[in-house]
Amino acid sequence: MAGLVPPGTTTIPADASKAAHTKAEEKTDYMNLPCPIPFEELHREALMSLKPETFEGLRFDFTKGLNQKFSLSHSVFMGPTELPSQSAETIKIPTAHYEFGANFIDPNLMLIGRMLTDGRLNARVKWDLTDNLSVKANAQLTNEPHMSHGMVNFDYKGKDYRSQLQIGNGSLFGASYIQSVTPHLSLAGEIFWTGQHLKSGIGYAARYETDKMVAAGQVASTGMVALSYVQKVSEKVSLASDFMYNYMIGDVTASVGYDYILRQCRLRGKIDSNGCTAAYLEERLNMGLNFILSAEIDHKKKDYKFGFGLTVG
Amino acid sequence: MADNLISLDRLKAFWHSQVHHEQTRAHNMKLLRAAGLFAGSILLMRNYGDLMAI
Repeated sequence: MAGLVPPGTTTIPADASKAAHTKAEEKTDYMNLPCPIPFEELHREALMSLKPETFEGLRFDFTKGLNQKFSLSHSVFMGPTELPSQSAETIKIPTAHYEFGANFIDPNLMLIGRMLTDGRLNARVKWDLTDNLSVKANAQLTNEPHMSHGMVNFDYKGKDYRSQLQIGNGSLFGASYIQSVTPHLSLAGEIFWTGQHLKSGIGYAARYETDKMVAAGQVASTGMVALSYVQKVSEKVSLASDFMYNYMIGDVTASVGYDYILRQCRLRGKIDSNGCTAAYLEERLNMGLNFILSAEIDHKKKDYKFGFGLTVG
Repeated sequence: MADNLISLDRLKAFWHSQVHHEQTRAHNMKLLRAAGLFAGSILLMRNYGDLMAI
Protein backbone atom coordinates (compact mmCIF):
# COMPACT_ATOMS: atom_id res chain seq x y z
CA MET A 1 0.00 0.00 0.00
CA ALA A 2 2.88 2.34 0.81
CA GLY A 3 4.30 1.81 -2.67
CA LEU A 4 1.14 2.93 -4.40
CA VAL A 5 1.33 6.45 -5.79
CA PRO A 6 -1.85 8.51 -6.04
CA PRO A 7 -2.77 9.05 -9.72
CA GLY A 8 -1.92 12.42 -11.31
CA THR A 9 0.95 13.44 -9.01
CA THR A 10 3.96 12.37 -11.04
CA THR A 11 2.63 12.45 -14.65
CA ILE A 12 3.94 15.39 -16.75
CA PRO A 13 1.43 17.08 -19.12
CA ALA A 14 1.94 15.77 -22.68
CA ASP A 15 2.44 19.13 -24.48
CA ALA A 16 5.01 20.44 -21.94
CA SER A 17 7.13 17.34 -22.34
CA LYS A 18 6.95 17.70 -26.16
CA ALA A 19 8.04 21.37 -25.93
CA ALA A 20 10.95 20.44 -23.66
CA HIS A 21 12.02 17.69 -26.06
CA THR A 22 11.84 20.05 -29.09
CA LYS A 23 13.82 22.71 -27.20
CA ALA A 24 16.47 20.13 -26.33
CA GLU A 25 16.70 19.11 -30.01
CA GLU A 26 17.05 22.75 -31.15
CA LYS A 27 19.70 23.40 -28.52
CA THR A 28 22.00 20.51 -29.28
CA ASP A 29 21.84 20.20 -33.07
CA TYR A 30 25.32 21.67 -33.71
CA MET A 31 26.03 19.07 -36.38
CA ASN A 32 23.39 20.54 -38.66
CA LEU A 33 24.19 24.23 -38.71
CA PRO A 34 23.22 26.26 -41.77
CA CYS A 35 25.84 27.24 -44.33
CA PRO A 36 26.85 30.87 -43.74
CA ILE A 37 26.83 33.57 -46.41
CA PRO A 38 30.08 34.33 -48.26
CA PHE A 39 32.59 36.52 -46.41
CA GLU A 40 32.38 39.38 -48.92
CA GLU A 41 28.59 39.54 -48.36
CA LEU A 42 28.86 40.01 -44.62
CA HIS A 43 27.25 43.45 -44.72
CA ARG A 44 25.01 42.58 -47.67
CA GLU A 45 21.68 43.78 -46.30
CA ALA A 46 23.12 47.04 -44.99
CA LEU A 47 24.95 47.74 -48.25
CA MET A 48 21.81 47.06 -50.30
CA SER A 49 19.83 49.54 -48.24
CA LEU A 50 22.44 52.22 -47.55
CA LYS A 51 24.59 52.22 -50.67
CA PRO A 52 22.38 52.51 -53.75
CA GLU A 53 24.23 53.40 -56.96
CA THR A 54 23.57 57.12 -56.91
CA PHE A 55 24.70 59.02 -59.97
CA GLU A 56 24.64 62.51 -61.42
CA GLY A 57 23.31 63.23 -64.88
CA LEU A 58 21.46 61.07 -67.35
CA ARG A 59 21.55 57.31 -67.50
CA PHE A 60 19.90 55.07 -70.03
CA ASP A 61 20.21 51.26 -70.02
CA PHE A 62 18.72 48.96 -72.59
CA THR A 63 18.98 45.17 -72.31
CA LYS A 64 17.89 42.95 -75.16
CA GLY A 65 17.61 39.21 -74.62
CA LEU A 66 18.55 37.27 -77.73
CA ASN A 67 17.67 33.91 -76.24
CA GLN A 68 17.20 32.37 -72.80
CA LYS A 69 20.88 32.54 -71.94
CA PHE A 70 22.38 35.33 -74.02
CA SER A 71 21.62 39.05 -73.91
CA LEU A 72 23.15 42.30 -75.09
CA SER A 73 23.05 45.64 -73.28
CA HIS A 74 23.52 49.23 -74.36
CA SER A 75 24.13 51.95 -71.79
CA VAL A 76 24.50 55.68 -72.23
CA PHE A 77 25.71 58.01 -69.51
CA MET A 78 26.00 61.79 -69.67
CA GLY A 79 27.00 63.83 -66.69
CA PRO A 80 29.79 65.15 -64.54
CA THR A 81 32.30 62.70 -63.10
CA GLU A 82 34.04 63.48 -59.85
CA LEU A 83 37.85 63.50 -59.84
CA PRO A 84 39.70 62.52 -56.67
CA SER A 85 41.21 65.64 -55.14
CA GLN A 86 43.30 66.33 -52.06
CA SER A 87 41.49 69.54 -51.18
CA ALA A 88 38.01 69.77 -49.66
CA GLU A 89 36.60 71.10 -52.94
CA THR A 90 35.08 68.62 -55.37
CA ILE A 91 36.36 68.72 -58.93
CA LYS A 92 34.03 67.49 -61.64
CA ILE A 93 34.53 67.11 -65.36
CA PRO A 94 31.68 66.57 -67.80
CA THR A 95 31.79 63.16 -69.44
CA ALA A 96 29.65 61.16 -71.79
CA HIS A 97 30.15 57.54 -72.70
CA TYR A 98 28.45 54.59 -74.29
CA GLU A 99 28.89 51.09 -72.95
CA PHE A 100 28.23 47.91 -74.91
CA GLY A 101 27.66 44.75 -72.92
CA ALA A 102 27.21 41.06 -73.56
CA ASN A 103 25.91 38.60 -70.97
CA PHE A 104 25.81 34.83 -71.01
CA ILE A 105 23.94 33.35 -68.04
CA ASP A 106 23.73 29.63 -67.51
CA PRO A 107 22.98 27.78 -64.22
CA ASN A 108 26.69 26.87 -63.93
CA LEU A 109 28.41 29.58 -65.93
CA MET A 110 28.03 33.32 -66.05
CA LEU A 111 30.02 35.55 -68.44
CA ILE A 112 29.62 39.31 -68.42
CA GLY A 113 31.56 41.75 -70.57
CA ARG A 114 31.35 45.52 -70.88
CA MET A 115 33.20 47.72 -73.36
CA LEU A 116 33.27 51.49 -73.02
CA THR A 117 33.94 54.15 -75.64
CA ASP A 118 37.00 55.38 -73.71
CA GLY A 119 38.69 52.02 -74.30
CA ARG A 120 37.97 50.37 -70.94
CA LEU A 121 36.92 46.73 -70.77
CA ASN A 122 35.27 45.09 -67.75
CA ALA A 123 34.88 41.33 -67.68
CA ARG A 124 33.43 38.96 -65.08
CA VAL A 125 33.29 35.18 -65.03
CA LYS A 126 31.56 32.93 -62.51
CA TRP A 127 31.93 29.21 -63.05
CA ASP A 128 30.45 26.55 -60.74
CA LEU A 129 32.82 23.64 -61.24
CA THR A 130 30.94 21.42 -58.79
CA ASP A 131 28.12 21.98 -56.28
CA ASN A 132 30.68 23.11 -53.71
CA LEU A 133 33.51 24.63 -55.72
CA SER A 134 33.22 27.74 -57.85
CA VAL A 135 35.68 30.02 -59.60
CA LYS A 136 35.13 33.74 -60.03
CA ALA A 137 37.31 36.07 -62.06
CA ASN A 138 37.08 39.73 -62.89
CA ALA A 139 39.24 42.08 -64.88
CA GLN A 140 39.35 45.79 -65.74
CA LEU A 141 41.56 46.55 -68.71
CA THR A 142 42.47 50.06 -69.87
CA ASN A 143 44.75 51.71 -72.39
CA GLU A 144 46.66 53.51 -69.64
CA PRO A 145 49.78 51.62 -68.53
CA HIS A 146 49.73 50.02 -65.05
CA MET A 147 46.03 50.76 -64.59
CA SER A 148 44.67 47.33 -65.55
CA HIS A 149 43.57 44.93 -62.80
CA GLY A 150 42.58 41.31 -62.60
CA MET A 151 41.54 38.95 -59.82
CA VAL A 152 40.61 35.27 -59.47
CA ASN A 153 38.68 33.79 -56.53
CA PHE A 154 38.29 30.13 -55.66
CA ASP A 155 35.31 29.53 -53.37
CA TYR A 156 34.64 26.30 -51.53
CA LYS A 157 31.30 25.77 -49.75
CA GLY A 158 31.27 23.24 -46.96
CA LYS A 159 28.39 21.97 -44.83
CA ASP A 160 28.54 24.81 -42.32
CA TYR A 161 31.49 26.84 -43.55
CA ARG A 162 32.86 28.62 -46.58
CA SER A 163 36.43 29.34 -47.58
CA GLN A 164 37.88 31.52 -50.30
CA LEU A 165 41.27 31.98 -51.90
CA GLN A 166 41.96 35.15 -53.83
CA ILE A 167 44.79 35.87 -56.28
CA GLY A 168 45.16 39.25 -57.96
CA ASN A 169 47.64 41.06 -60.12
CA GLY A 170 50.31 43.03 -58.33
CA SER A 171 51.02 39.88 -56.27
CA LEU A 172 47.86 40.17 -54.26
CA PHE A 173 46.98 37.06 -52.23
CA GLY A 174 44.07 36.74 -49.86
CA ALA A 175 42.15 34.04 -48.02
CA SER A 176 39.03 34.09 -45.92
CA TYR A 177 37.07 31.58 -43.87
CA ILE A 178 33.61 31.82 -42.34
CA GLN A 179 32.09 29.24 -39.98
CA SER A 180 28.60 28.89 -38.52
CA VAL A 181 29.00 28.58 -34.77
CA THR A 182 25.32 28.55 -33.79
CA PRO A 183 22.18 28.59 -35.98
CA HIS A 184 22.27 32.39 -35.82
CA LEU A 185 25.94 33.31 -35.33
CA SER A 186 28.84 32.91 -37.74
CA LEU A 187 32.45 33.96 -37.22
CA ALA A 188 35.00 34.71 -39.90
CA GLY A 189 38.62 35.61 -40.46
CA GLU A 190 40.65 36.85 -43.41
CA ILE A 191 44.27 37.50 -44.30
CA PHE A 192 45.83 39.23 -47.26
CA TRP A 193 49.28 40.06 -48.57
CA THR A 194 50.26 42.40 -51.39
CA GLY A 195 53.67 41.97 -52.98
CA GLN A 196 53.56 45.29 -54.81
CA HIS A 197 53.17 47.47 -51.71
CA LEU A 198 54.66 44.90 -49.31
CA LYS A 199 51.66 45.08 -47.01
CA SER A 200 49.81 42.38 -45.17
CA GLY A 201 46.77 42.37 -42.97
CA ILE A 202 44.46 40.22 -40.92
CA GLY A 203 40.82 40.74 -40.09
CA TYR A 204 38.04 39.20 -38.04
CA ALA A 205 34.30 39.38 -38.49
CA ALA A 206 31.09 38.19 -36.90
CA ARG A 207 27.52 38.10 -38.09
CA TYR A 208 24.38 37.48 -36.06
CA GLU A 209 21.16 36.94 -37.97
CA THR A 210 17.57 36.26 -36.95
CA ASP A 211 14.27 36.58 -38.81
CA LYS A 212 13.90 40.14 -37.58
CA MET A 213 17.43 41.56 -37.69
CA VAL A 214 20.98 41.19 -38.94
CA ALA A 215 24.00 42.55 -37.08
CA ALA A 216 27.52 42.31 -38.46
CA GLY A 217 30.88 43.57 -37.30
CA GLN A 218 34.34 43.53 -38.85
CA VAL A 219 37.77 44.69 -37.69
CA ALA A 220 40.99 44.60 -39.65
CA SER A 221 44.62 45.35 -38.95
CA THR A 222 44.50 48.02 -41.67
CA GLY A 223 42.68 50.09 -39.06
CA MET A 224 39.17 49.49 -40.30
CA VAL A 225 36.23 48.92 -37.99
CA ALA A 226 32.88 48.34 -39.69
CA LEU A 227 29.62 47.65 -37.87
CA SER A 228 26.19 47.33 -39.41
CA TYR A 229 22.68 46.66 -38.18
CA VAL A 230 19.55 45.98 -40.22
CA GLN A 231 16.06 45.71 -38.76
CA LYS A 232 13.63 43.84 -41.01
CA VAL A 233 10.46 45.64 -40.00
CA SER A 234 8.32 43.79 -42.51
CA GLU A 235 8.65 42.04 -45.88
CA LYS A 236 8.52 45.42 -47.61
CA VAL A 237 10.42 47.61 -45.16
CA SER A 238 13.96 47.49 -43.78
CA LEU A 239 15.76 50.01 -41.62
CA ALA A 240 19.56 49.97 -41.63
CA SER A 241 22.42 51.65 -39.85
CA ASP A 242 26.15 51.38 -40.30
CA PHE A 243 29.34 52.67 -38.70
CA MET A 244 32.71 52.82 -40.45
CA TYR A 245 35.85 53.94 -38.62
CA ASN A 246 39.46 53.87 -39.72
CA TYR A 247 41.62 54.52 -36.68
CA MET A 248 44.80 54.87 -38.76
CA ILE A 249 43.42 57.69 -40.89
CA GLY A 250 40.95 58.96 -38.29
CA ASP A 251 37.99 58.96 -40.66
CA VAL A 252 34.61 58.04 -39.22
CA THR A 253 31.14 57.87 -40.80
CA ALA A 254 27.83 56.56 -39.54
CA SER A 255 24.71 56.41 -41.67
CA VAL A 256 21.08 55.55 -41.10
CA GLY A 257 18.65 54.68 -43.84
CA TYR A 258 15.50 52.97 -44.97
CA ASP A 259 14.54 50.66 -47.81
CA TYR A 260 10.95 50.36 -48.97
CA ILE A 261 10.34 47.60 -51.53
CA LEU A 262 6.83 48.11 -52.87
CA ARG A 263 4.98 46.57 -55.80
CA GLN A 264 5.58 49.42 -58.23
CA CYS A 265 8.70 51.00 -56.82
CA ARG A 266 11.71 50.72 -54.56
CA LEU A 267 12.67 53.72 -52.45
CA ARG A 268 15.90 54.02 -50.46
CA GLY A 269 17.08 56.95 -48.45
CA LYS A 270 19.82 57.68 -45.96
CA ILE A 271 21.48 60.37 -43.91
CA ASP A 272 24.98 60.22 -42.49
CA SER A 273 26.99 61.82 -39.72
CA ASN A 274 28.77 64.14 -42.19
CA GLY A 275 25.43 65.76 -43.02
CA CYS A 276 25.10 64.12 -46.43
CA THR A 277 21.63 62.89 -47.42
CA ALA A 278 20.83 60.66 -50.37
CA ALA A 279 17.75 59.10 -51.92
CA TYR A 280 17.23 56.64 -54.76
CA LEU A 281 13.93 55.78 -56.40
CA GLU A 282 13.26 53.05 -58.96
CA GLU A 283 9.74 53.23 -60.32
CA ARG A 284 8.31 50.50 -62.50
CA LEU A 285 6.35 52.32 -65.18
CA ASN A 286 5.52 49.26 -67.19
CA MET A 287 6.75 45.68 -67.64
CA GLY A 288 10.50 45.97 -68.24
CA LEU A 289 10.49 49.78 -68.08
CA ASN A 290 11.94 51.42 -64.98
CA PHE A 291 12.36 55.08 -64.21
CA ILE A 292 15.19 56.05 -61.85
CA LEU A 293 15.68 59.18 -59.77
CA SER A 294 18.83 59.74 -57.74
CA ALA A 295 19.76 62.55 -55.38
CA GLU A 296 22.71 63.18 -53.08
CA ILE A 297 23.12 66.43 -51.16
CA ASP A 298 26.21 67.38 -49.17
CA HIS A 299 25.72 70.84 -47.70
CA LYS A 300 29.14 70.89 -46.07
CA LYS A 301 31.06 70.41 -49.30
CA LYS A 302 28.38 72.25 -51.33
CA ASP A 303 28.12 69.20 -53.58
CA TYR A 304 24.66 68.58 -55.05
CA LYS A 305 24.09 65.60 -57.32
CA PHE A 306 20.84 64.90 -59.07
CA GLY A 307 20.34 62.24 -61.68
CA PHE A 308 17.59 60.65 -63.67
CA GLY A 309 17.48 57.63 -65.91
CA LEU A 310 15.54 54.95 -67.64
CA THR A 311 16.19 51.21 -67.84
CA VAL A 312 14.54 49.04 -70.44
CA GLY A 313 14.58 45.27 -70.32
CA MET B 1 50.06 56.99 -2.56
CA ALA B 2 52.79 58.31 -4.90
CA ASP B 3 51.82 55.79 -7.58
CA ASN B 4 48.20 56.98 -7.49
CA LEU B 5 49.31 60.60 -7.91
CA ILE B 6 51.43 59.69 -10.91
CA SER B 7 48.60 57.85 -12.62
CA LEU B 8 46.23 60.70 -11.76
CA ASP B 9 48.60 63.13 -13.48
CA ARG B 10 48.72 60.88 -16.48
CA LEU B 11 44.95 60.76 -16.56
CA LYS B 12 44.73 64.52 -16.36
CA ALA B 13 47.29 64.90 -19.14
CA PHE B 14 45.36 62.44 -21.27
CA TRP B 15 42.08 64.24 -20.58
CA HIS B 16 43.63 67.60 -21.50
CA SER B 17 45.12 66.20 -24.71
CA GLN B 18 41.80 64.72 -25.75
CA VAL B 19 39.40 67.46 -24.68
CA HIS B 20 41.30 70.73 -24.73
CA HIS B 21 43.55 70.17 -27.70
CA GLU B 22 41.79 71.58 -30.76
CA GLN B 23 42.54 68.86 -33.31
CA THR B 24 41.87 65.83 -31.12
CA ARG B 25 38.74 67.50 -29.79
CA ALA B 26 37.37 67.92 -33.28
CA HIS B 27 38.18 64.29 -34.11
CA ASN B 28 36.61 63.05 -30.86
CA MET B 29 33.46 65.08 -31.47
CA LYS B 30 33.17 63.56 -34.93
CA LEU B 31 33.65 60.07 -33.47
CA LEU B 32 31.09 60.70 -30.72
CA ARG B 33 28.56 62.06 -33.21
CA ALA B 34 28.94 59.01 -35.47
CA ALA B 35 28.83 56.53 -32.58
CA GLY B 36 25.83 58.32 -31.07
CA LEU B 37 24.00 58.26 -34.40
CA PHE B 38 24.72 54.56 -34.82
CA ALA B 39 23.74 53.54 -31.29
CA GLY B 40 20.75 55.87 -31.15
CA SER B 41 19.44 54.65 -34.49
CA ILE B 42 19.69 51.02 -33.36
CA LEU B 43 17.74 51.79 -30.17
CA LEU B 44 15.06 53.63 -32.14
CA MET B 45 14.85 50.89 -34.77
CA ARG B 46 14.46 48.13 -32.20
CA ASN B 47 11.89 49.97 -30.10
CA TYR B 48 9.88 51.98 -32.62
CA GLY B 49 10.75 50.36 -35.94
CA ASP B 50 7.25 48.87 -36.30
CA LEU B 51 5.84 52.37 -36.68
CA MET B 52 7.57 52.57 -40.08
CA ALA B 53 5.81 49.46 -41.42
CA ILE B 54 3.22 49.74 -44.17
